[in-house]
Amino acid sequence: MPTDSRDPFDDLRALIETLPVPSAPPTYTQREAALGLALMDLSLRLDHVPRVAEHLTLIDRGHMTRSVSVDVDLAAIADAQRRRIMAPAESLHGNALWIPISRYSRSDLAPVVVKDSTGEVVPRFTHRDSNRVTAAAFVRLLTMLIDAHRDVTVRDTVVHKLRHTHQRSRWLVEAALAELVTAGSLPETGVRTPLDYARLLASSADGREADARAVRDLALAGLDELWPADGRNGIRLPFAHLLSLACSQYMLIVLLDAAHPRRFLAWDAPLLPGRRPSAPLQRLAQSVLPVNREFVVEYETAIPRSVGAYHLTVEVNEEVNVRRFVLSSDVDDDFVQALTQDVEMLAEASAGAAPHRKLLELELQGIASRLAEIGRRRLTDLTSYRRYIAERHRSLGAEPANGGPPGMTGDEVVAALGRGDCTVPVLAAFAAHYSADGMRHLARGPLAGAALPALASGIRDYQLGHDITTDNDPREHGAHAHWRRPNVDLSPHSTQPVRAVAYLSLADEAPALIEGITRMVAGLVAVVLGIGTLLTGGLAWLYSGAVTPNSVPEQADAVVAVLLLVPGLLIARLDLPSTHSVLGQLRQFQRSLAFVSVAVTTGLAIAAGTVHTDLGITRAFQIGMAVLCLILVCCLLEFVARRARRRSAVSRSARLPRWLLATRSRSRRAYAPDAVFDARGEV
Amino acid sequence: MERRTSRSSELATIAAEAAGADTSSVRLRLVHGPAGFTADGLSEPTADPPPPDLAQWPSDFWLFSVAGLAMCVSAWPAAATVFSEPFEVGTPLRTDRDDTHAYDGFSVPNPGFLNEPNRRIDALLTLNSTHWSPSYRDSLVTGAVLTRVCQLAVDRGRGPVVHLHSPVAPFVDQQISARGDGSHERLRDAIGPCVRLSVAVNPHEPTARLDFERGLVELAEEFGLGLKLNDRRFNRVPGEWFTIRGFDRERYRQVRARLFPETPMHLPKHAMIATVMGPARLGMAADVVARIRSSGAGVLAAALSSVRKIGFINLVVPLAEGADVAAPAWSGGWDDGLKLIAERGGLWDADGADHGDDGAFAGYKVALSQPMRCSFPQSSRRTGASVTGRVPYPLWLRWEIPNRTVGSPRLLAMVADNLGVYAEHTEVAYARARVGRGDLVRGRAKLVVLLTHAPRDVADAQAVLNEVAERVQERTLEQLTDMRWAGAARVRLRLSPRERWLTYSGMSA
Repeated sequence: MPTDSRDPFDDLRALIETLPVPSAPPTYTQREAALGLALMDLSLRLDHVPRVAEHLTLIDRGHMTRSVSVDVDLAAIADAQRRRIMAPAESLHGNALWIPISRYSRSDLAPVVVKDSTGEVVPRFTHRDSNRVTAAAFVRLLTMLIDAHRDVTVRDTVVHKLRHTHQRSRWLVEAALAELVTAGSLPETGVRTPLDYARLLASSADGREADARAVRDLALAGLDELWPADGRNGIRLPFAHLLSLACSQYMLIVLLDAAHPRRFLAWDAPLLPGRRPSAPLQRLAQSVLPVNREFVVEYETAIPRSVGAYHLTVEVNEEVNVRRFVLSSDVDDDFVQALTQDVEMLAEASAGAAPHRKLLELELQGIASRLAEIGRRRLTDLTSYRRYIAERHRSLGAEPANGGPPGMTGDEVVAALGRGDCTVPVLAAFAAHYSADGMRHLARGPLAGAALPALASGIRDYQLGHDITTDNDPREHGAHAHWRRPNVDLSPHSTQPVRAVAYLSLADEAPALIEGITRMVAGLVAVVLGIGTLLTGGLAWLYSGAVTPNSVPEQADAVVAVLLLVPGLLIARLDLPSTHSVLGQLRQFQRSLAFVSVAVTTGLAIAAGTVHTDLGITRAFQIGMAVLCLILVCCLLEFVARRARRRSAVSRSARLPRWLLATRSRSRRAYAPDAVFDARGEV
Repeated sequence: MERRTSRSSELATIAAEAAGADTSSVRLRLVHGPAGFTADGLSEPTADPPPPDLAQWPSDFWLFSVAGLAMCVSAWPAAATVFSEPFEVGTPLRTDRDDTHAYDGFSVPNPGFLNEPNRRIDALLTLNSTHWSPSYRDSLVTGAVLTRVCQLAVDRGRGPVVHLHSPVAPFVDQQISARGDGSHERLRDAIGPCVRLSVAVNPHEPTARLDFERGLVELAEEFGLGLKLNDRRFNRVPGEWFTIRGFDRERYRQVRARLFPETPMHLPKHAMIATVMGPARLGMAADVVARIRSSGAGVLAAALSSVRKIGFINLVVPLAEGADVAAPAWSGGWDDGLKLIAERGGLWDADGADHGDDGAFAGYKVALSQPMRCSFPQSSRRTGASVTGRVPYPLWLRWEIPNRTVGSPRLLAMVADNLGVYAEHTEVAYARARVGRGDLVRGRAKLVVLLTHAPRDVADAQAVLNEVAERVQERTLEQLTDMRWAGAARVRLRLSPRERWLTYSGMSA
């Protein structure tokens, strides 16, 4: 993610140190700069994209295809902006506009073909052009920042020199910006320059002004002057963020006819490879224990903040069932983060000299009202989640509705919050008391003092800024979640994309392989039981250690044939999938059971063919029978585990908000997912 | 860890707005003159006009009128010219109207001033409980308070003053017995001796916010001022206030007498407008106000604002007794301007101390109006004069209108004309409009009306104002619809005697 990447100013410095010093200014036109800035602005906000839909298809355990469709409304783009993004007039369509519709990571280099509703391919802006106008935009931005700097008219300052007398340094900064934007920067390593491979001797300090060293030094000083590290004017961080976005992502820009303002566009995004988090013990347990393994997929994406509706549909192989599908987004996270910081700040302030009583009351009222709002929102989420779970399994329906928490009094709620208990029922009760005017005087109450630090950690721990959207189209082999931007946006000024995680748990539901295997194992038990009983002339061999004389088969070939043919026929009837598919992963344990049971009967066949003592043959059949019974027990345990899994109300995932997990008594250890698909680089 | 920031997209937006091929600088026109001009026609620049299709439709419009003096700014995007300074201002130009001068200015875009995603703290400081009649001495106290407030915003809040106005409509809490269901608010005076300001603080620095608020409380306690902060409870709208402390008349008088014992206590007859302009920066207001105060000038009224990232500090400075009332309008650099302000408006022997480095003032320009006669309201609702009906009442206006249909000055003139049927005097006290997303002009204004038929009592005044506001709103909407331009359906306009019913954000008046 761009926000986690290294400081792009380091890259800029590295390039300033190594690029050849230009002897003439760069040749970007004003039009290019205007186009670049307009495209950057539009692509960051995407106000003209009211709806986004994504369709995911899981093709195997590590790959996912993804097709994206967007609605575009050109009417949302102001006239002044349109003039800047207008394509040259020779276009056949009259007025045509370059419109950014998405951004995607530079690491995805597969070609993207964008089509409109008629299936016609829409022309695209090339990366080369896009890089050029973006570079022009940054050069223009630099000029604007220099021109508006307070020192620009003060002689002998760094900025004055850059602007008026020492232009080569400015050109060098401009060239470095252009190079960074064009070449891109890897988030992990940053830019590699020749300086990484050479050791230069420190030059003497009194170089001439024309020396490359002096030019570079002035350029570096210019960076510090224009984007001071102390951040007093706050420009460094936004500029760095903008630059890191520009050099880690491409804009997907298409040419659209201005005469048709409402358009529908669709494209197939590059194939998305999955990541498999390391969890060796969990994987081992899943393959060797009857735990009714689920295949858990997490899909991370980013939704532009201005998008009103976002649809996510998932399709899986017909033999795989979707057991749970939940989408969680951090749409309220900024709001909750500011709330937490307010509570922490007040806790600190109260620990020292307490603020004016009315000021404290205002702060507390502000905090309480926001907490109540969050409580209301999360309760809505929780209610819809419970309804979803109830629909999935009848036995889960009645419990939360009837057996909900007992009503809490105002004092109990405040006491619970003071302990850091910010579960949804407590917050809901708090919201009820707050809206019933039960919290009018907080400054004198218990919430004002020592309770604040615990409250802050409670709000933070329960991840109250994350919402939940459930599957609203519960089909067996697919799912659909419809996320809508809340009517009242709690962080209206934010333009950061909303990060969303879809949690998808896939399972092998009835008619499942385990049922077939159970029947097969039961059949094999019957065969072994039959042969054993006929050979020994009774059932005593099952429980007695005594050896029956003359139990060696007279026609060993026939017994061997039965023991080899019957399991062979049975296993051939089972549809055992390849291990690379999701189904193969789900049925790994069952397949092992089938193979072991066949191995047992094969072993018995070998014993029947080669062992000629009564003791040997009896013991072989006893061991074989015991192992087969054990396998049968495993099959039954698998049924029990499946039932338990189906009834599980909350999935054990680290990516689901903790408030959802904590609605059940205690939080449990989260399981690592089987595949994580990350499309956050694309917005 | 790097914090998530929305400012990068704000930076991109500002830069994109500023960097059109034909619009990479800002042209503006500032007008100073006696109150009452509608700005329609006056605000179009004569020298070096913007492209003809833009001239009528300023992208930004701002107006403030007080004590019989008015100032107005219109700004347009314009083609770049050869760069010599970040901000340039022309000589005063005479207009057709008496005593009214216009100043044409030019500025480079200023993308470094970012405050959009910040959290706003609004504060309302009460400097007196009577109607607005500031004496020379009061004007010095106002200057002192403004200096301290702006300094607090920078030092403690670490954020810029987004806007500051004085005088503004005072706000009085409703008594519990009269509160009803809380949907109404008490009838307010149009203007009162109050300072209303809005400071942008970083939402992720709550300590700075609390420090600033504590500083305000200390200031209010020191001067005996009343202090209200915007009600930050969820679901509360701007215009709702939370009272921190009430006005302490005795304390205020003591402080005033202690600080300025020699300064006369009568009303100034003449005043001039001093406008300081330059690329908006953090700390600009604090530096400028402090330096003007240290020149010995008082402040009758103040309006701080920024238009297209250009900071405007407008101060109405009372003319010193004995100063030349026929002094001409002037514009020029900071140092000369400060000397002229001290010469014309110096009331007391200030310390004249050096307030920081001179580099902070580089690039600021000053425009001084010629001295004008000032007038003050004779009465207010709170001084018991409401029964006579000669009380100016405020009406708040908010509008949204497609760009290049009806200009903001013309729209305000239409509303004022329509109000003329019911009021014997109408004045636009404050207006602000700018072109925003979706190519819509969004504007807000405060109008002051003196009703023709004196209402019998407060309840009657409320009823009459409601009716007038509603009728004028409908009439204006009808007129706009009759003009039959495309997009008439997108027009929104609302006039109300209650500020918070407009539920807009981020304005003050």
